[in-house]
Amino acid sequence: MAGPERPSREPEDDRNLVDRAKQGDREAFATLVRRHQDRAFNLAYQMVRNREDALDISQEAFARAYTSLPTFKGEASFSTWLHRIVVNLAIDSLRRKRVAGTASYDDTRAVPGEPEAEPSTRDDPAIALESKQVRALLARGIAQLPPAQQAVLVLREIEGMTYEEISQAVGCSLGTVMSRLFYARRRLQQVLKMHLADLR
Amino acid sequence: MIHWFHMALGRGRRLAAYAAAELPPAEHARVEADVRSCPACRREVEAYHLVSSTLRTEPPARMSPEQAAAFLAGVERRLRPGTAALARPARPALRELFWDHPRLSLASAAAAVILVLGLTLVQMEVWGPWSPSVPNGVEVVSIEAGEDAPVMVFQAPGSSLKVIWVFEKPTS
Repeated sequence: MAGPERPSREPEDDRNLVDRAKQGDREAFATLVRRHQDRAFNLAYQMVRNREDALDISQEAFARAYTSLPTFKGEASFSTWLHRIVVNLAIDSLRRKRVAGTASYDDTRAVPGEPEAEPSTRDDPAIALESKQVRALLARGIAQLPPAQQAVLVLREIEGMTYEEISQAVGCSLGTVMSRLFYARRRLQQVLKMHLADLR
Repeated sequence: MIHWFHMALGRGRRLAAYAAAELPPAEHARVEADVRSCPACRREVEAYHLVSSTLRTEPPARMSPEQAAAFLAGVERRLRPGTAALARPARPALRELFWDHPRLSLASAAAAVILVLGLTLVQMEVWGPWSPSVPNGVEVVSIEAGEDAPVMVFQAPGSSLKVIWVFEKPTS
């Protein structure tokens, strides 16, 4: 039995767009790009902490997704699949740059020329300063994590993915996800514990 | 569910899982009671909470409006050489060709072995010092060791014909 007709203004499902793109409909793929580009950029940025590299990685991820569409079977959602490509590219980029010693972190989330959005700190300057220091410490701590741990941490804590989604996005078992996440959290926790001890 | 994993954890992992609210309710209550009576555990949990709460309130990185508007064009620029792959999947078709014609596969494999052997002998200076040409007079115009598909381009001197070898990595 046919289901109720979908209202024409409802955004088209990713799955339909992927099917159409597989048939060679470039406009369908363009819709997917426009829909997911912000999140892909943010994910890449959270990994590499450099705007130029994040732009490069997120665009490359879409290009690779397009050429790999014939092999995409739809077992995971398009966004999970795309995130996997972004994460792998970001891990490769981090490894290459760390080996070459050329990693550079600008750690600027805001659009150039615009003030950076700060998390709410109830207008208390001391809390704001404290929060900024903590963020800076964490950013440095994250940059020192092995890329694979960094990926899992970003997907869990910043992207809010479930363990299962991370497992699909990173292509490893649940146990590995949990293990990497624990080591990443513990490393950052140790960094902050020292900071908190200094404050006392 | 994931709880079986946390149940088998040591103290450190259990505290981390507790701070992230990832323990089953009964275990969560048990750890909470422990934490209440253990100042060192409280400090551990406090620092874990700070990690999570800071990361979870990270403002997202945004592209500038210009970057966002030009994003698709940037993707398309990268696609141009491989665009045909979607309409006519070149790689699977090539694989099918070799699969359907085992003799072709054998001939290609033999040619590859001869090529590699030849290049190795040249490099080992058995056939003279290294130069970018192979003994049959065909020149190696370029070798690009890209991550996905190393490419070698050959050309006979005086000929405009180029032979391009793409060493394709098996795709899953």
